[in-house]
Formats: sequence, C-alpha cells, structure tokens
Amino acid sequence: MRYRVTHETAYAYEELVSICHNEVRLEPRETERQTRFATLLHVEPPPAETHAERDYFGNPFHFFTVEEPHHRMVLVSESEIELAPAPEPGTTPAWDALLEELAGDTSRVGLAAREMSFASPLVPVAAEFARYAAADFAPGRPILPAVLDLTHRIHADFAYRPGATSVATPVREVLESRVGVCQDFAHVGIACLRALGLPARYVSGYLHTRPAPGTPRLVGADASHAWLSVWCGAEAGWLDLDPTNDLRVSDGHVTLAWGRDYADVSPIKGVFLGGGEHTVEVAVEVVAQR
Amino acid sequence: MADGDERWLRYERTAGVHDEMLDAEGATREPWRPLVESLEPLGPAELARRWEGARRLIRENGVTYNVYGDPRGTDRPWELDPLPLVLGPDEWARVRGALAQRARLLDAILADVYGEQKLLREGHLPPELVFAHPGYLRACHGAPARLARLTLYAADLARAPNGDWWVLGDRTQAPSGAGYALENRLVSSRTLPEAFRESRVERLAGFFQRLQHSLRALAPRHVANPRVVLLTPGPYNETYFEHAYLARYLGFTLVEGGDLTVRDRAVFLKTLGGLEPIDVILRRVDDGFCDPLSLRSDSSLGIAGLVHAVRAGNVAVANALGSGLAESPALLAFLPGLCRALLGEELALPSVATWWCGHEEALGYVQAHLDELVLKPAFPYAGLEPVFGAHLSAAERAALLAQIRARPHAFVAQEQVALSTAPVFAPEGVRARPLVLRAYAAACEDHDWEVMPGGLTRVAVAPDSLVVSMQRGGGSKDTWVCSAGTPSAVTLLRPAGAPVELTRGGAELPSRVADNLFWLGRYLERCEGAARLARAIIARISGEGADGDASLPALIDALARSGAIEEGASHEGRAFLDRVFANESPRSVRATLAAVQQLAFVLRDQISLDTWRVLSELQQDASGPSAASWSLSAARDALNRMIVRLSAWSGLTMESMTRTLGWRFADMGRRIERATWVATLLDACLVETGDDEPARLEALLEVAESGITYRRRYRGELQVVAVLDLLLSDETNPRSVGFQLAALEEHLAQVRGVGAAAERTQPERVALAALARVRLADVAELCRVDAGKRLRLAELLARTTGELPALSDALTRSYLSHAGEARRIERF
Repeated sequence: MRYRVTHETAYAYEELVSICHNEVRLEPRETERQTRFATLLHVEPPPAETHAERDYFGNPFHFFTVEEPHHRMVLVSESEIELAPAPEPGTTPAWDALLEELAGDTSRVGLAAREMSFASPLVPVAAEFARYAAADFAPGRPILPAVLDLTHRIHADFAYRPGATSVATPVREVLESRVGVCQDFAHVGIACLRALGLPARYVSGYLHTRPAPGTPRLVGADASHAWLSVWCGAEAGWLDLDPTNDLRVSDGHVTLAWGRDYADVSPIKGVFLGGGEHTVEVAVEVVAQR
Repeated sequence: MADGDERWLRYERTAGVHDEMLDAEGATREPWRPLVESLEPLGPAELARRWEGARRLIRENGVTYNVYGDPRGTDRPWELDPLPLVLGPDEWARVRGALAQRARLLDAILADVYGEQKLLREGHLPPELVFAHPGYLRACHGAPARLARLTLYAADLARAPNGDWWVLGDRTQAPSGAGYALENRLVSSRTLPEAFRESRVERLAGFFQRLQHSLRALAPRHVANPRVVLLTPGPYNETYFEHAYLARYLGFTLVEGGDLTVRDRAVFLKTLGGLEPIDVILRRVDDGFCDPLSLRSDSSLGIAGLVHAVRAGNVAVANALGSGLAESPALLAFLPGLCRALLGEELALPSVATWWCGHEEALGYVQAHLDELVLKPAFPYAGLEPVFGAHLSAAERAALLAQIRARPHAFVAQEQVALSTAPVFAPEGVRARPLVLRAYAAACEDHDWEVMPGGLTRVAVAPDSLVVSMQRGGGSKDTWVCSAGTPSAVTLLRPAGAPVELTRGGAELPSRVADNLFWLGRYLERCEGAARLARAIIARISGEGADGDASLPALIDALARSGAIEEGASHEGRAFLDRVFANESPRSVRATLAAVQQLAFVLRDQISLDTWRVLSELQQDASGPSAASWSLSAARDALNRMIVRLSAWSGLTMESMTRTLGWRFADMGRRIERATWVATLLDACLVETGDDEPARLEALLEVAESGITYRRRYRGELQVVAVLDLLLSDETNPRSVGFQLAALEEHLAQVRGVGAAAERTQPERVALAALARVRLADVAELCRVDAGKRLRLAELLARTTGELPALSDALTRSYLSHAGEARRIERF
C-alpha cells in the first residue's frame, strides 16, 4: 500500500515571537515494511537554517531555527511511503522464558531490547502496572497472545476521550482514571510490559484517514497516532500493537519514529522567546495512492 | 615557648578511628609539626584574635554558601576552621597518582558509554547502570569530545582506621568546591603566615593555571583566542559565590542560560554590542538542565539548541554533557574490573565497599547485613536520602527490602565508613571532628590529569557524625599539602588590595549585567536622595535647622513624592523615624537597600571587593535590629554614615571603574534617578510662594549640596532665579537637572557608537528633547508668579519627570531586554 501523508501544524501567537528553536520528527523512518520515497518539510516563516540528522534511536529529525520575528508559524510535512502488510507471526516464545534469555544477552540486538525494559521519563516501572497486567501473563504463556489480551483489555477498560488528558498527565493517573487518548493507552501498555521486565517501545505515526469503502475509519485518524511495540524474541523481533483500536498493526499504520516513550519522539518540540498565549491547529491526511 | 606538658593544642582522640594530627601514641605526626610548633607559642587567645580578623575578611569578601530553605535568607557566611588539614609529601604523592588514574578511568568509561559501548557488550558493565540511569543522556551519545569528557573531576576521600584513603564518591558532573578551596587558602595563609611558610605548603595556583589552559584548549574554533564562559544557574544556587569567584579568578565571563543563544548550531553571548561567539562553556548547571530543547524540557536554566551546537562540534562544554552518569554509586562496585579492562591496571585508590543490588549474590549479602550498611539509590534521584540500616524499625526495614526486591538494580548498599578526625578550633577548646576531603583533578592535553595539591576539607558538626555536608551545617578547612622541596610560586591571584576592574570589556558586557548595573545605579542614587532629605528633615525636627522648621512641609512632601515615606502622615520625631526606617513599601529606604544587596550579590563578578564592602556596610547601617528604637541623633548619625558610604560608592565608580559600557549603564541609572529627584525637590520647594520661601530656598540648597557654590557666587542673598539657575540649568553643577540630562545624552551617544548605528536611537531622542527643553528655558520666565504660583516652572518640571520613566523604558527596550523567559511548544 502506497500513501501520501500530509501533516500541517499552525501556531498562532498573541505576541511576537522573536526566535524559535525546533526539533521535529515528521519524516517517516524506514523500517522492514516501510519504504519512504520522499519527505518535504516546509516552514513559514522560512528558518535561518535547517539540519537533518538521525537521533539515538535512528529516527530522522530536523533541527531548525526561525529567527524572523513572527506571530504565526506553519509547518507542513509531506511524505510518500509504501507499506507492506505484517506477516502472520509464528508461535512466539513464552514471555518468562524470553525474560531469562534476555537477562544475559549482551548482543547489540539484545542490548537494544533490554534498553526498552527500564523506566523512562514518562513511564515509571511500578507495581500497580504489574498487578494490572498479571491476569494475561500466566507462567509459560507465549508472549504475543498475552500482549494481545493485554491491549484488548486496555481497549475495553479505558475510555477514549480527547481532551481528558494532556501530554503532562502522568501515566499512573491514567491507570486510575481509565480515560485518555492514544498516547496514554500506549504508555499504559508499555508500563505494564516493563513492570514485568519485558522490553516495550513507543511508536509515533499516523493512521490511514480515508479507508476503503466498507472498512471503518479508525479512532485517532485525524491527528498523529501512537501505539506500542513489544520485543518477542530474536525470531519474531518487535511486534506492533495498537491498544486504541485493539488490533495488531499492519499496513494501515504509518510509522514516524520510535523511542522509550512520547518524550523521545514527540513530533514537534520547540522553545521560543516571547509569544504570550498561543493556539495550535493540526491537520493530518493519510491518503492511499493508486 | 610552652613546654610539652602545657600544650594547648591538645584534644581527646575518638576511639577506633584514625586521627590526622596525632598518632596512636598521642604524638604529633611529622607533617603537622611546623604548624603545631608555630601555633603553640601563639596561644589560643592570639589564634582567636587572628581568627576574628579572618572571619571579618570572609564576611567582607562576601564568601557565602546558600542553604536551600534557610529562613535566614540565601547567603550564609562560609564556615572555615582556622586549623588546616596537613598532609605530608609522600602520602600525597600516592593520593595524587591514584586520583589521576581514577580520573583517567572514569573518563574512559564515559568515552565508551557515549561511544562504542564495548563495556556493555563484553559484560564489564551491567546495562542497567547505563540504560536505567536518568543521567544517561541519549541525545549526547556520539557527541564529539576533545581532550577529555572530564575536564574537572573531584573525589570525596575518607581515611579508614588503618590509615588508608578510600573514595566515598566521585563528582564528574560539575564538581563544586574548588573555588572555596582557593578562598580558604587565601584566608588561612594570611591568618597563619608563619606556619604556612614553615610547612612549605604547595601552592594552588599552578593547578588553576592548568585548568584554565585545558579549558581554553577545548575550544573547537578560535583556537588562538577562545572565549570561555562559566555557566551558572544563577544567584539562588547554593554555590553562586563560588561561580562568581572562579569566573573572576580564571578570567571567564559569568553567564546565565538566558545570556546565551544558539544560531546556526553555534553558541553566542548576547551583549550590548551584539552577539559574540562562545567557544567553551564551563558549566555549573547539571547536564540535564543545559538544553530545554533536547534534554529536560522543564529546564529554565539552559540554552535551547546547545546539544546540537555540541554535536556539530562548534562549542565545547566542560564537563561534557552526560558525564553525570559516572557519579552513580553503583559504578563503584565495578571499578576494579573496569580499571583492568580499560587501563590494564589495578585500581590504585579503593572505593568504599559497595554492593549493587542488581546482582543476586550482592542482594543476598545486603539482605543479610542490612544493619551494617547504608542504602542509597543507584542513580542520583533528587530527594532520596541515604538510609542507615541500623536506624530502621522492623516495619521500615521490611518496607525498604520490599522496595529493593521490586527494583534491585536501582539500589546500592555501602559499608559505613568510620571517618578519620582532625582537630577543630572552637571557643571552648580544640576538639576532634570527622572529616571528608574533596580532591580535584584537571585534564591536561597529554591525556593525563593534574591533581590539585590540596582540596576542600569538610568537617562534621558532631564528633560521631556519619555524614559530612555543608548543606547540613558542617564547616570547612584549608588543606595543606607539604612540599618536599620549595613550593613553586605561580600565581593567578591579583595582589591583595589591588583595585579590581568593574567590567572586563566594552561591548562584550552581557545585556543582563548591564541591566543590573543600571538598576544598581538607580537604587543607590534613590537611597542617597532619601538619606539627604531625611537628614535635613531630622535636623529641622530636632530644632537644629539654620532656617527654623518653616521648610519642613516642603521637604516632607518631597520625600513622600519620592516614595520613601507615605504621604500625609505625622512628622513628629518618633513617628517620622518609623516612617523612614520601618517602612517596607517598594520605594522605601529599606526595600531599596535590600534591592541593592540583591544586585550586588548578582554582580559579584563585576564589582570590586572595595565596592562590595561599601555596599555590605551600607546594608548594615540601615538594617540594624536597633533601628526601631533609634533616637533622632542616632538616626542622624546613621544617615550621615550612609551618605558617606554612598559617596564612597560614587568615588569608586568615578575612580576605579573603567569607562566601559557597564560604567555607562550604572551612571545612566544614577543620572535618571537624580534628575527625577532634583526636579521633584525643585517642584516641592519653588512652585509655591509665600513667607516661608527663604526657608525653603535655604533647605533646597542644603539638600541639593549646592549651598557653598551658591554663596560663593551670590554672597548669601537668596533669590529664586539664581537658585533655579544653579539647580536646573547650570550644566557645570553635578546636582543640576541639566547636568544629568547632558550626561545621559552623552552616554546614549557613546552606547550607540558601539553598535555603529548612524541614526539617533529612541532613548537618545527622548533624552535630547528633555535636555533641549531645559537648555532653552528662560529661568526668569519660569520664575514668574501667576496667582501665587510659578506655574510655568511646575509645567516644565512635570514634563521632565514624566519623560524620565519613558527614557528608562526606552533604554530597557533598546538595550537591556533579554526577551524574557524561554517557553516551549510540544505537540502531539
């Protein structure tokens, strides 16, 4: 499946912004199933300079500075990518066997997986998450069905309510209140897996906004989306699951970047001087190309 | 000389620990003998007397250490014990070599963790110690580092009962205390000059010279003449004094995050003359807080884009961003193995015995021996204090063990160390107190580390304390390392008492500093105005005024209009004093002096020691606890002292400050304030007519310090026109309005010259318009009376006093605004 992705963000400031430094992750990374043909990043007012690099986790990002005083900044990113469907995974290893295998693994791949099993800025490792997850993780159970059950339960137990949380809402509060949006559910799932010692990472991306007739439009399609990825052993690798839509990720999810949690990969980060109050408008379009 | 039996420098040794001065038999150890021999004949009374002098020096130099949450306010005087810790040359040679090895090792560990990570893949370092460490800054992985990641390294050393030194902890982030060690040295060498000479103490200057050299060598660009700045979190930081002191000593500009900006992945200092490129940042801000864009987004102390500038190789940060990682106490358990793996050597200086709970056998040991151990978080999380196993109740113990078992990798246990003791001088006699020595090493160009011959010795308040910390109220000592030969005599220090320049350059002055100098000038002038008026009023209240008390209402009106007292209240003696000295309103004398003190503290690296002293004394004059019970005469004396000190400040700015932009901004602050004050005074004394006019003229000349000039010119005949000419138009009189406006116009033209703009700036136009109006005014015409009032004069004065705040605002907008606080956007 080939897609054209357009992501437009407009910031309007009450007072003049004299300078604004930005780090954006708006260029879809290449993966085993995702090929990127082009990304065009357009910023208004034009930045004094733009630098494209890769971050610690291999995600492409742009660092740019708008030095022209402005009341409004518009960022448009357009990409064309092609996605292959995810193959059916075979039988995955038991989650507890996986833990033991991982404990002594100092290979590059093993270390990269282990890195995702610890607390991170927005995801604490805490007992309450282990308690929430316990029902699905009987000893000896293969990891994939266990995680599918966990994400199914998150989908059932938590209400999707935009505006109920913000990027600053701690994931512990989300576990209490049982409401949130896609990044909250991804964080809850990641917290549960890490509480058991399992490596899990956060994936930022998009959903197909105009699915084929007859197929439902998924929740979270009109903005950036987020889901989680879990390590299922050397053979199966990382498998992506979307707790917001209760499904296993295939060729309807465009990956932008991954990291330990939202803080590692937020699509737009900026620091500006001046500005006063500001408002933001976001528009995302993911359209299948024929 | 007293014989051995009458020695006063004796004390009871603490059983079971090593004592630094006395050996097991109670005899003085070799390196201490010159000190003891020099102090014994001095006697405790003489030492106490000298020490009083030293304490005064510390207070006057403003050596402080901020204690967070201390209700007494931010700056607490630095605590220094007169008796140094003395170490012999042989012993120090061993410590020195071992410290250099340790610095090399930690640097190599950081280089690997932020690079190839072979230590993780080869199993020398458990991945938890890196990946679970909040101080592992992924954004800094792979960033280039010249010379070393640890430019300045420190270790806290303790001596075990058997006499061996142990490392309690490593400081790899932004080690503090080296500046205090320097200040301690200054005080102790002056207090005990004979002992200092006899002990052949190694000098510290050579170390700082190496450090200075290494910092400059870090510069990726401008290698011939690199610009180095010292980045401080600001005046509320506990060791701000030290930041200012080190910046001045090493010759670097002291900056806060807001003073720097990133453009095209390079770092610049915002100065009055524009953006100046910066090559090296010596940081005293914890690394996570250094960049709100790529590191902690909640930081207001950093520079957005700094990480990208470092990664692009355009600026060097010392210590490297991310080096806080090596402070983890968990690392101590692995250092011997890491030392063999990385350096192929045995670790020369052992660490305090440490068990990392992430290993099963270690966890087993910790559970079985909890009572003998101190439990700490493996990673330095704020707010988690060490826990002494022996102090726990059964319930606390169970709770702690459960916590550890849930996340074993996040905990370490350490042996409790019996610290060695050294004598501490106290009014009630000499006592033995536990100590910890912080020792320092600076990276050199040949991949070696230069160790400071000395360090910061900290002593505990209680004889059996297990924790030594300045935050908990401990004291400090100088550390004397005795030389086997003659100590080298390098010095970076200016000779004592030499005048210190107020600013270092012209256009490089950070805008924030110029702003602070501007307000310092304003506040001090505001104080002077209020003090002069209050003094004249008190003289009249107590019946000493040459002109009787007819001028009192006008003077009190002027004082009230300046904001120093409320309007319309009684001016009966007692009540008046309360109104002046007990007033807390924003423009009161008390509030203004408090603001002066605050600014002086922030400007520590910009103002000379003498200026600092003058300003400290000024504060003491007005804030004495007895102020409320002052008599009129005591108040007058205090005001006299205050005016003399303010004159001293004026003299210092005129005679000791180079004519840089900093001086101009301080002077512009003074001129704006004085012009306002004189105009207000003229308005209060000259607009009304009446029988009391001669008394008002007399008082006006006295308060405005222009009586002598007037009498010389006009022989005592008081005429309104002549008085007004002298105080409004006469630009040769430094108290006239015209003089202030002319000076402002001149300053503003010079400031513009630095930016090389051809057109007059907005503040310049405001100043010039005000000056022209005063110059063009016909004084006789201004003195014409309509309906009992000089309305033309009132109008001119009102326009002038109305324009001055506008001038101040225009000045701030044009030169001083540093655009406020950085904010962030984060979008999902």
